Amino acid sequence: MKHILVLLFSISLSSGTLYEFSNDEDEKRFNKLIEDIRCPKCTSGSLASSNAPVSEDLKNKIVEMINQNKSDEEIKLYVTSRFGVDSLYEPEFNKNTYILWFSPFIFLLLGLTAFLFRKKT
Amino acid sequence: MKILLKITVLLVPIIFILMFFFLLTEKRSYPGADYSEFQVPNFNLENLYENKIITDKDLRGDYIINVWASWCITCRVEHPYLMDLKNRRIPVVGINYKDERNNAVDWLAKYGDPYKIIIHDFKGSLALDLGVTGAPETFLVNNGKIVAHYQGEINDKIWKDVFDPIIKEKDMFR
Amino acid sequence: MIIEISHFLSLLATGLFFLVGLFSLFVTSNSYTSNLISRTYSQAFLLLFSSFLIYVWLAVTDNFSVEYIANHSNSALPVFYKVSSIWSAHEGSMFLWIVFLSIWGFIFNIAINNNEILKPKTVGIISFILVGFLLFLLLTSNPFITILPIAPDNGADINPVLQDPALAIHPPTLYLGYVGFVIPFAASLAFLINGDSSIKWEKLIRKWSVMAWVFLTVGISLGSWWAYYELGWGGYWFWDPVENIALMPWLAATAFIHSLSVSIKSSHLRIWTILLSILVFSLSLFGAFIVRSGIIDSVHSFANDPQRGLYLLAFIGAIIAASVFLFVSRFSMINSSNNIPNLSKESFISINNILFGTLIFSIMLGVTYPLFYEYLFDQKISVGAPFYNAIFIPIVILASLFLFFSVDSKWSRGITIDMFKKPIILSITLSIISVIAISFIFKTKDIFILLSIFAGLLIISRYIIEIWKYIFNKKYLNFFSVVAHLALGLLLISISFNSLLSSERALNIKLNQYEEYKDMKVYFNNIQLIKGSNYDAVKASFNIEDSSGNNFNLSPEKRRYFTRGQITTETAIYITPIKDIYLTIGDQLDDGSWIVNIQINFFIRWIWFSAALMSFAGIMLIFSRKRI
Repeated sequence: MKHILVLLFSISLSSGTLYEFSNDEDEKRFNKLIEDIRCPKCTSGSLASSNAPVSEDLKNKIVEMINQNKSDEEIKLYVTSRFGVDSLYEPEFNKNTYILWFSPFIFLLLGLTAFLFRKKT
Repeated sequence: MKILLKITVLLVPIIFILMFFFLLTEKRSYPGADYSEFQVPNFNLENLYENKIITDKDLRGDYIINVWASWCITCRVEHPYLMDLKNRRIPVVGINYKDERNNAVDWLAKYGDPYKIIIHDFKGSLALDLGVTGAPETFLVNNGKIVAHYQGEINDKIWKDVFDPIIKEKDMFR
Repeated sequence: MIIEISHFLSLLATGLFFLVGLFSLFVTSNSYTSNLISRTYSQAFLLLFSSFLIYVWLAVTDNFSVEYIANHSNSALPVFYKVSSIWSAHEGSMFLWIVFLSIWGFIFNIAINNNEILKPKTVGIISFILVGFLLFLLLTSNPFITILPIAPDNGADINPVLQDPALAIHPPTLYLGYVGFVIPFAASLAFLINGDSSIKWEKLIRKWSVMAWVFLTVGISLGSWWAYYELGWGGYWFWDPVENIALMPWLAATAFIHSLSVSIKSSHLRIWTILLSILVFSLSLFGAFIVRSGIIDSVHSFANDPQRGLYLLAFIGAIIAASVFLFVSRFSMINSSNNIPNLSKESFISINNILFGTLIFSIMLGVTYPLFYEYLFDQKISVGAPFYNAIFIPIVILASLFLFFSVDSKWSRGITIDMFKKPIILSITLSIISVIAISFIFKTKDIFILLSIFAGLLIISRYIIEIWKYIFNKKYLNFFSVVAHLALGLLLISISFNSLLSSERALNIKLNQYEEYKDMKVYFNNIQLIKGSNYDAVKASFNIEDSSGNNFNLSPEKRRYFTRGQITTETAIYITPIKDIYLTIGDQLDDGSWIVNIQINFFIRWIWFSAALMSFAGIMLIFSRKRI
């Protein structure tokens, strides 16, 4: 069993890929994370869309952290503590952002309510 | 109901436009400067000159960290100001960022060495931990804690605008 | 010297447009003033258009005594790009914007009969708007400034990324859309000023509105398509602030043309329709302001200048304020006591208006929140894809469900129980079965993707049933609605499958070796240095073989442009009906291997095809001979 595991690892970690992961889920996690994190140096754009040196460094660091089994939250915390909360494209959900997250649905509810209670002859 | 509609239609655009007037005229934060405070990260890297290891424990007190490289043109422009800081007895710790040792040493020999000690951060790992996105960048450190970070060339004006207020507030460099 | 002629013509045009506006304030039912207004507008337009044509000629003939042309063009550029360099920055693109606005006014002026009651005032309002923008142009953003006495030998060259056919026509197409909505806007205000509620302004401007909507749809799609093949990371929509700002008018315009058909058909929703008409144009203006004021960071932003931003904001604010005042003061004119029955077609479109309103509100919120947040809490925050997706996906699915049920709705009366007949049950059944099958086949439990596919399938199946009934039972069919909504269903499904199935990886391959990805072998055959007209490049050639025996070549490049030293990646794409194989090269590593990014993008072409199909439905409507 151990032999098979070693064989599997060595196949997927062989040369040919720039970012090496032990399984497909990790690779998907990586691809998702780099889309949701802002490039620290660019005017706008995610890590996925940038090949600036600092973006490359950050991507490598993220790969390292994924392979160390760090969670998405830990990785995001690493990024935000160095490059700011605005490095994440998803705004946090806290008392300062309730308005942002809730008001679209409040708007919708108000609109639908106004429609349902419109004056009828 | 209809009155509510009329009021909304009238007020919403007007308030909205006024908000934008406000945003356009209000003072934005100083471009390039960041004042978030955090501890100097742990690191274990080589000195540029000798093969000796430096760690975060070797740095104490109040000092400046300057991120530079021989390939960085703006670093050449800000260099005289760093020499000036050295003359004023302000300790400047250098981080040589993603640079070949030889190129860095030659550059310093040619233009002068303003640094008290230089960390050779070839891979940029310390820089990444500091939130650096390029060179030059400069940090103000107060007793092991970073209290200001400026991205770009520092000169007299930037020092006065960005660092002086913090230096005075925290009574640094005595 | 010639530039001064162009400059002078624009000044004259401004004066004449002002006169047109002035005349329109005094129009009575006198046909003399009506003809005067029409003729004067045409004259003013010809002056402005000549001014612009001369400017284009100056750009094409490399007249670098004009500062703007010197800054943005170069004698080495192909003619096509010398022309497109005109709209590559603020002053020139503003000029183009204004000229396009005047063109819409001109065509309206010619096409509509002078004894159409609302015409003089509509043309007058358009003229006043033109005057305001021309003053903005001439006073703060003058494209006619010269570098004298010694003009530079050559220009500065435009950003190489802008030297692309799709990108060259993307701004003009969009502008044609934005400014086109001045027609319904001006007509709705003319209607309010005129005071006679029996006038059917909605009928007058219907085809004009749909045409402008088509331009917006095509313009946005062009931007998306260009970004996909040019920028190198294979996405088609980024929720970038300026993209969002273009999307808002489109959403408002879509809601508007739906509301318009209700107002025409059954005289309901006239309030909504007027408000939407004001909203679309206001959002277009607001978009123009935001991009040019420097208030938002974006890859699209023009140079920052808060001073200009203030002037523009003041002018746009005045237009919007004036129109809402007018609306409120004439409210009783359009206030109808007729009410919409529940589950009537009108009610479905009302709900649609509310849903679209929510989407517009959400985008506005997302774009402005970081600005207010930074001001209030002294901290930066980003609002991006996760937020917009969280709002859009549920609401679009909801809207699709309403659309589905609305197919059976009738004008001015509700749905009766016996209407829940075979079509609805058939569609729902087919869609549920398909979605369950898809969930198994593609091994996914992602509820949002599955719901989106379900919504798309519902729409498509329902409309196919309608087409069937038309063919076999001769049931009445509204072609435009069917085609456009089929396109919407297709769009939902394409976006969902693209999200579900696409994948990518960064490989590193040495010359004359290969790497495997999914079922493909990627052979690195060749690498050469090539020289283009204004760049050096590294061109890497790959041969790709997949398990079904397909074999094809792709040659991505990395270019360095001479004038600015800028480096760009050129993608290489292999297109098949259901997927794109997308290749770019990165840097070379120390061991000599090259980084090769490979992506498989499923159904991405279908996304633009859906947009094209929607636009086609719009064009069908415009050219149809039916009495609309």
